Amino acid sequence: MRHLFVVVDASSPMSDQDLKPWRLKATTKLLEYFVEEYFDQNPISQLGLLSSQNKRAEKITELGGNPRRHINALQELSSKTCQGEFSLQNSLDLALSHLRHMPSHASREVLIVMGSLTTCDPGDVRESIKAMAEANIRCSVIGLSAEVRVCKFLCQQTGGSYNVILDESHFKDLLVFQVTPPPSSVSQTKPSRRINKENKEKGACLLFHLDSQTSQGFSSSGYFCPQCKSKYCELPVECKACSLTLVSAPHLARSYHHLFPPDAYREVLTSDILTDGPVYICDKCEQKFCLDCDLFTHETLHSCPGCASFRSLQNVQATTSVH
Amino acid sequence: MADAGEKGGSSLLIIILDTNPVWWGRKKVSDEQFSLSHCVDCITVLANSHLMLAHKNKLAVIAAHTDSSVFLYPQYPGKQTAAAKLPDDGQYEVFGQVEGQLRAQLKMLIMQDKEEIDEMYDVPERPSDSLIAGAMAVALCYAHRLEKECPIGEAMSTRLLVIKGSEDCPAQYMNFMNAVFTSQKQNIIIDACILDKDSGLLQQACDITGGMYLKIPQLQGLLQYLMWVFLPDPSTRVKMALPPRAQVDYRAACFCHRNLIDIGYVCSVCLSIYCSFSPICSTCQTTFKILGPQKLKRKKKS
Repeated sequence: MRHLFVVVDASSPMSDQDLKPWRLKATTKLLEYFVEEYFDQNPISQLGLLSSQNKRAEKITELGGNPRRHINALQELSSKTCQGEFSLQNSLDLALSHLRHMPSHASREVLIVMGSLTTCDPGDVRESIKAMAEANIRCSVIGLSAEVRVCKFLCQQTGGSYNVILDESHFKDLLVFQVTPPPSSVSQTKPSRRINKENKEKGACLLFHLDSQTSQGFSSSGYFCPQCKSKYCELPVECKACSLTLVSAPHLARSYHHLFPPDAYREVLTSDILTDGPVYICDKCEQKFCLDCDLFTHETLHSCPGCASFRSLQNVQATTSVH
Repeated sequence: MADAGEKGGSSLLIIILDTNPVWWGRKKVSDEQFSLSHCVDCITVLANSHLMLAHKNKLAVIAAHTDSSVFLYPQYPGKQTAAAKLPDDGQYEVFGQVEGQLRAQLKMLIMQDKEEIDEMYDVPERPSDSLIAGAMAVALCYAHRLEKECPIGEAMSTRLLVIKGSEDCPAQYMNFMNAVFTSQKQNIIIDACILDKDSGLLQQACDITGGMYLKIPQLQGLLQYLMWVFLPDPSTRVKMALPPRAQVDYRAACFCHRNLIDIGYVCSVCLSIYCSFSPICSTCQTTFKILGPQKLKRKKKS
């Protein structure tokens, strides 16, 4: 589980046109893609958006799990005018105030997309950086113009990564890099911290989902909390009444393919006229696949079509997953 | 009607037919009116109508059997096809081909089963669920291949239609969900046409991919339902009055007993679901703090 705040710089340097059509527009466009990928890879994680302009930081969206809401907010943001100065300290403080209360078994992160070369802070920014490091919040910065010393310092202190983009495709690569969860966050490698990973109680919420409408206004569809029967229009969410974490089964299932990846296929050369090139054989079910299907099953599908079609192999998989 | 055709693209319809011998056998015993051959007739009509809508439309039919997934149409090119005789009544050749191959392949499938049973002295209990997820995985691979073969600049929209009578196979949950998320990623819609009991998994699949889930209220009218609900492509469906969406059961199955549960415990590392607290996650071997029981107490109070 991750809790991530994305801070978007909306200060006057963001109206530069070195990224087409201008920096802010290009950034929000890439962030839209980022949000979708983020929720695809981290299904029950949360994301929030902050923006900073006029020396102030403001919250655009609360931490939440609904990609559509964030994307709408990003689209609104992209048409705003860029003005004033960027404030690193205000952004960090605002993010910290929200992330501080998040449970420690989830990783807490801040991603700053910064176009400005300066920061305008009310106090000592190093104090904020220290506070971030103490709270174990990982801060990463993607710079749009040039390397800034204070950002580098921030990333070093909090264990994040600092990168400056070369061009738009490099920008995209850097964002995609942020999509995958950090491989070993500090809390997970330290054995003393390990006890923090307690079982989180979750209600797999259910029932009555017709068409999920927008979050505002009345709607006839929604999800009920199994414990207190409160109704919510989007998942995942923590129940306001009984503080049960509500998720739906597909959210959890989305990441299961990481747990049981299909075995690699064996490459075999054949003289079959029908197939050109090598044939790939699954060792379990002994079915043959072409190169395209091999790539497709391992990168996208994550389950072997052959193994899924044999009952005897089903049971093997079921038992391995139980033990 | 052929919206994809107007845009210059083709539309691929993959029908997954559940051919579970146990379920069809029971159906035959209990209900004389409805049999597999009747169902195949309906599917043939649906398939032919789909092919008729646009010249570029493509079709595949896959049988999900108890222990295999078999392409009913198109046939594996290496196999000897029965001498394709030209229809004498001026019927479009492809229609004749579809019907002939469907029947021939199904017949082969059933004969294989029969031989198997004849060979054995004590016939083991046949499982009453089919391996739908396997057939779906095969279908997705097939769709992926056709999409690659598709000439550049041409769009192809794909749809999966699952016609299912037998129960869900709980052991296939993982494979099934993988297939569903893949189709969501590839923009493939999954439709479900349920002949018997409601299927929670397929409900979720249809809801996630934006397809239609329909439990046929009257099997006699199967053809009508197929033509009305499942023939039009998604862009056309918006304009039609279709049966309302059913409630979706979004409960998850626990890993330990495979029961559907409302409230359970989730491992915070690997997201495995358990119906009761266990100190060690059996999937990823994580040990949890003994804070668990305290938490339990608090839950009871609240």
